[in-house]
Amino acid sequence: MNGNDDLTPGERRAFEALPRERAPRAGLEDRVVAALQRRGLLAIPLTSSAAQRRRLTPWLVGAVAAALALFVGGFAAGQYFGARSGADAALRGAQASGSAAEVAAHAERAGTMYVAALVALNQLSDSADAPARARARQVAIAALGSAAEEVAHLAPNDPLAAAVLRGLNERSKSQGPAPSSRSVVWF
Amino acid sequence: MNAVAASELPASPDRTLAERILAGDEGSFRLLYRRHTPRLHQLALRLVGGAEADAEDVVQDTWIKAVEKLDSFRWESAFGTWLHAIAVNVAREAMRRRGRRQEVEFPEQAEPAAPAPLERVEVMDLERAIAALPDGYRTVLVLHDVEGYTHEEIAEQLGVAAGTTKSQLFWARRAVRTQLADERRTT
Repeated sequence: MNGNDDLTPGERRAFEALPRERAPRAGLEDRVVAALQRRGLLAIPLTSSAAQRRRLTPWLVGAVAAALALFVGGFAAGQYFGARSGADAALRGAQASGSAAEVAAHAERAGTMYVAALVALNQLSDSADAPARARARQVAIAALGSAAEEVAHLAPNDPLAAAVLRGLNERSKSQGPAPSSRSVVWF
Repeated sequence: MNAVAASELPASPDRTLAERILAGDEGSFRLLYRRHTPRLHQLALRLVGGAEADAEDVVQDTWIKAVEKLDSFRWESAFGTWLHAIAVNVAREAMRRRGRRQEVEFPEQAEPAAPAPLERVEVMDLERAIAALPDGYRTVLVLHDVEGYTHEEIAEQLGVAAGTTKSQLFWARRAVRTQLADERRTT
């Protein structure tokens, strides 16, 4: 070194001339935002249903629809056809199963059955009285919240579960205390 | 949600944006990101030795850690300084993971001959010489000679004694001069 290890004026000028800023690729910003949203550190915009649909992949939209149908259908089946025994059987089968694949298959069968029950509910909705329909809706929403909580336990960073819980939380704040019908959710 | 369009708060102080980010606001995050990322990216790129993909990973992980810790930041230093301190640790961790970290020091008995100080240094040559340094030396040289941190500040960031950073800077400068002299001889 040059005795005292100092930079020469020429070396110092070179260091000072080094660029201090460099823009990264444009895609990095969206990548970082998405990573923060996945971790629940930034909110996922829900102000526009169209914007939300663009964000959700088709299978997620399908999953939401199927989940809602499952809950409403399950309630409808219980109310109108006494079909709880089918759901109970599926649940018992899932609990007794030894493998994750079997449990998943049971869940899929139960979901299909509930969707079919929802179709039946839609066909009968004209004859259903208003209080019964309102009760069905309340149960479906309460069950949706319970399911979202379970998904959040399974995958704490799942943005869809977080969005559902946030939406339900805002709904309950705007509507006051939760109605007692939440306690009738039976799955 | 407290969504803020990126164009609404162009001149907002970092602290205002940070408070909105803590409420989950994506627009405020994008503003803060655009304000600080060019400098952060250049620092990351230099710390990891010029690998663009590694630098982008460092930028992403730095922002994630920053947002995670944002509520504990006391604003006793500039936000950018705090962000850079996080980036230094993230970059060191990245270098450790990729196995390129080389903390060895020149043993005293094997001290190479001191190259002559240079009066004229091309910026591009200097950039290449910095990138070719062992990771540990490069970190200290970048923080001291490029970013202007003191040995005490660097020592605190890296969790080492100031004497260690002085020693590493000494050998880093010598290695840079050797590299530059070699390049000059071959051209």
